[in-house]
Amino acid sequence: MKCDWTKENMVLYIYDELADDAKFEVENHIRSCIGCREELENLTALKHDMSAMPVTEVSPNLLAASRMQLQESLEQAEQNRSAFGMFIFDFAGWMNQIKLAPALTVALLMIGFAGGTITTWKIASNNHTIVDPGPAPTKDVDVASFESILTDPTSNNVTIKYDTLHPQTLVGSADDPRIQQLLLLATHSNRDSDVRLDSIDLLKDHAGDNDVRDALVSALRYDKNPGVRLKALDGLKGYVRNDVHVRDAVLEALLHDDNAGVRAEAIGLLDSVKADSSIREALEMLAKRDPNQFIRSQSQRYLASTPHLD
Amino acid sequence: MPAETAVLKAAVGASGEKRNSHSAGDMVSQALSRANDSELIRAAQRGDRVAFETLVRQYDQAVLRLALHLTGSEPDARDIYQEAFLKAYRHIGNFRFECSFYTWIYRIVTNLCLDHLRKRQTRREDPAIIMDSSGQELDLLDRVSDDRAGANPERDLMRRELGSKIAQALTKLTPRERMVFELKHYQGLRLRTIGEMLNTTEETAKNTLFRATQKLRSSLAPMRRS
Repeated sequence: MKCDWTKENMVLYIYDELADDAKFEVENHIRSCIGCREELENLTALKHDMSAMPVTEVSPNLLAASRMQLQESLEQAEQNRSAFGMFIFDFAGWMNQIKLAPALTVALLMIGFAGGTITTWKIASNNHTIVDPGPAPTKDVDVASFESILTDPTSNNVTIKYDTLHPQTLVGSADDPRIQQLLLLATHSNRDSDVRLDSIDLLKDHAGDNDVRDALVSALRYDKNPGVRLKALDGLKGYVRNDVHVRDAVLEALLHDDNAGVRAEAIGLLDSVKADSSIREALEMLAKRDPNQFIRSQSQRYLASTPHLD
Repeated sequence: MPAETAVLKAAVGASGEKRNSHSAGDMVSQALSRANDSELIRAAQRGDRVAFETLVRQYDQAVLRLALHLTGSEPDARDIYQEAFLKAYRHIGNFRFECSFYTWIYRIVTNLCLDHLRKRQTRREDPAIIMDSSGQELDLLDRVSDDRAGANPERDLMRRELGSKIAQALTKLTPRERMVFELKHYQGLRLRTIGEMLNTTEETAKNTLFRATQKLRSSLAPMRRS
């Protein structure tokens, strides 16, 4: 009986998973039982053998590549989320909020009920009143899109919902939050690369702001215009040392940007972090394989000036 | 030293053989002790991607190490890494602080690894052949520097043979047994934590570990006799 119990718990014993009293029982039993002692020796030997297939450290190269790939996927996921998020009603989240805030829910229901009752009463009492349609569009170009057209079968009334477009101008200081907001939007302008270039040029002096830095990183990664990417690089140069996202983006530009000018500029930015192992690996790769002679020689120069720590 | 005392000392890890599971265990306890996860999680739940990436960086090396050891393939480990953190990003809003973030992310990773092991079992792939990112065969033992005083080619060859037999023996475990053994022996986690990660009880994890060691013993017995 004691042997059965000991053998059942032997594995837990060798992995230090037994409570102190059970451990004491096992140790006591083993001292007096040759069979169980042999069993323990066998299990200990197995544990030792299994360590012949050790857990190795992940190479810096694999880690850096995985991180970069993940960052791209996260950016993609974030863009998809912001594009579709506004159209998707998060029922689970709503239910959760309702669960967590019963008082607020009751209050909202009461307000909704009261509002509905008052509206119904008003409509019933003013059955023939026409709601002021507001100013009609003066020109065709004012109408951006139509949302819906509803006809009332009991009367001659038609309800048209439409969106309008009005060209607008905003003048203000470059530090004005509204100007900054518009500049951030302008960095995504698909129509005109000059607009993107100008907006990045203005924003690069405010890269201390996280949103601005994200916009610069995004421009460096995805903008089709090399001039815009160069401007973004210029704006990010002060943050390579301390912001790991910036460093990853610059490293990515260094390895994958198809424009030699951008790659050459990126090398210069990484000067302050050239001792970093992932940077070193990238530089080694560029020194051997980059099609551009200048980049190869620059990489070699940086490598030569950095002591190899391995 | 009496024989039984030597056995007892070896069993509780007085010798250096426990080094690997120890270092993994230390890493895990460091991860567990990292404070301020809650703040980062709340920020990530509000849509702060930088906070999420900071969380990722605390755990991603451990995740990659686990996936690499379990799958034996860099491309597969990278795929599991990507999928795990993307899943975490999409579902971070559902995180209710009922367990640590570390347990939560490991639960996602272990599920993905289990799926991977099940698929591989169906395809009957040979995990002893390990691939790097360029698709070339790779021997994980090559990466371990053998700087022991008595290191010699013969011993090295024996280690390789043993490694290959262990890899074969591990394929005979069910995916769940493999996972419990991996998390206990190689990653050094407590059985209670393993139970939590695998959505089961500590008792079931204990039984699974027992079955796994019995199977490994019988698979490796011929080698020990020779």
